[in-house]
Amino acid sequence: MPNDSKRINGPDATVPYSIYTNLNSESSELLIKNQLQFRVDKRKHNEFRKMFIRIGVVSQAKGSAYVEMGQTRVICSVFDPREIPNKAQYSTQGELFCEFKFAPFASCKRKGHQQDAEEKEYSLIMQRALEPAVCRHEFPNFQVDIYALVLDNDGSALSTAIMAASLALANASVPMFGIVTAVTVVIYDDLFIIDPTYKEEALCLKTIKKLKPVNHGIIMQAMLSQHDQISEFFLTGSMDINFVNSSIDILSKTSNEIYPVLQEALRKSILKMIKKKNQQEK
Amino acid sequence: MAEIPLSLAEKTFILHGIDADFRNDGRSRTHYRCMELETKLMDQVHGSARLRIGNTDVLVGVKVEIDTPYPDSPGDGKLEFFVDCSANATPSFEGRGGENLANEISNVLALAYQSPDAMDLTQLSILPHKKCWKLFVDILILECGGNLFDAVAIAVKAALYSTEIPKVKCATLDGGEADIALSDDTYESVKLDTTNFPILVSLYKIGDSCVVDPTSEEEMCSSASIVISVMPNGRISSIVKMGYGSVHPTTLSKTLDMGTKVGIELNNEIISALKREDELGLNREIIGFLR
Repeated sequence: MPNDSKRINGPDATVPYSIYTNLNSESSELLIKNQLQFRVDKRKHNEFRKMFIRIGVVSQAKGSAYVEMGQTRVICSVFDPREIPNKAQYSTQGELFCEFKFAPFASCKRKGHQQDAEEKEYSLIMQRALEPAVCRHEFPNFQVDIYALVLDNDGSALSTAIMAASLALANASVPMFGIVTAVTVVIYDDLFIIDPTYKEEALCLKTIKKLKPVNHGIIMQAMLSQHDQISEFFLTGSMDINFVNSSIDILSKTSNEIYPVLQEALRKSILKMIKKKNQQEK
Repeated sequence: MAEIPLSLAEKTFILHGIDADFRNDGRSRTHYRCMELETKLMDQVHGSARLRIGNTDVLVGVKVEIDTPYPDSPGDGKLEFFVDCSANATPSFEGRGGENLANEISNVLALAYQSPDAMDLTQLSILPHKKCWKLFVDILILECGGNLFDAVAIAVKAALYSTEIPKVKCATLDGGEADIALSDDTYESVKLDTTNFPILVSLYKIGDSCVVDPTSEEEMCSSASIVISVMPNGRISSIVKMGYGSVHPTTLSKTLDMGTKVGIELNNEIISALKREDELGLNREIIGFLR
């Protein structure tokens, strides 16, 4: 979306009505924990949602991918390398330009058309997660544009976007060291919940003030599974260091489980492409 | 960040030094450079601090203003960080050159202070739903000599420690409108509860090991760094990876353990230094910045 300052963003003085609905509901530690203990979709705590992957969905882009993680839907497209704009010096390494955007209607609260601070931060995280996976020395002084759009946000949007972007990069035949898998985990007290929904994410960041601090927070880890390398680690909240260390193990394990799913999706897309080519030749 | 051209031989020299736990300037891997920290050195602000570590110079000013709280958190105040990478520091910051780095630093700070365990925003509330204090934390980077994140975070913590918010004598609702009266005595003020304020520790992976507080030359040798925000009680409020490289899971957990240990120690040192400065009283001599 081009940055147009004259674009009318609609009235910004509005507030979501939901703040008036739960005014009287007292949130306690026990209540939050109860809600997290039994997940609405009857998943286990270490179970990720069903994925749907389709590669090559945008005909105009060099490469693209559409990934669904439960109700979270992300579409991502990658465009041909082009010269880095406004750059005087020659750079020996190619660059990735990432843009992460929530669709205006993706979340509970409406988002504007222009990137806000959170989306800018996520763009940078995406860039750092993908950079170690791309052979950037193969296209010096060029940049590859990656655009990820979250159509529907039901939690773990950032990790889904990173996976979609790595599939789109592979689909665009950008030379890579491997596919990036990304997993989000939320932590509350002693619970580790893999691949949280929007509600679970919000519960873990809910502010409750009390004397004894409770572990809470969100961790997103992007990983190159076949090389056993973590390409990005992002934590917010407040927790004990031992919890962080044990969550690294859990996240790595889940990454290894997701990796074959992505691989299979890529394999299928290539088989389909070859089949199409053969038919054309006939 | 400021780019310093280094030859391969120079990089190898730095790398071998770090492998042997003996760096260019004689420090070990977990040692910080000497710091100069001073608070309350500006007149027009409610809290200020200046930190010099090696060749990195950071100046922080905290301004306090009255605002209306966000509708989804009516009982909380507001806290915002703005970083300005002045072109005085490095020519590459000129124009919009420093913008990315500035955004990065303010984002990491905002994340570090986001949790209510770290910073309790209810202490900034005046009248829920109506009025609250808003803290503007403005960070100016005057000189850039490596390890910006740690320097900025320490300076921010010191500036918030020194911040004095005017005392509210009475705050009432007058026909649905907020009516606030401040104390007539300008010296009467409230201090923030800074017990759990975090600091940032960035660990740069150089070769097989990690170092804290790198010089700009050492920064050039590193492909990846981990920025951890550590509270004085040893809890972690945020972790971000920086740089273009990746790390192995076991390296990451080792790095995190090291960062937490260093962070707790550093926090204690900073707090005791700030207390020592307090003991000097109001009539102490002010050194000022860029000296």
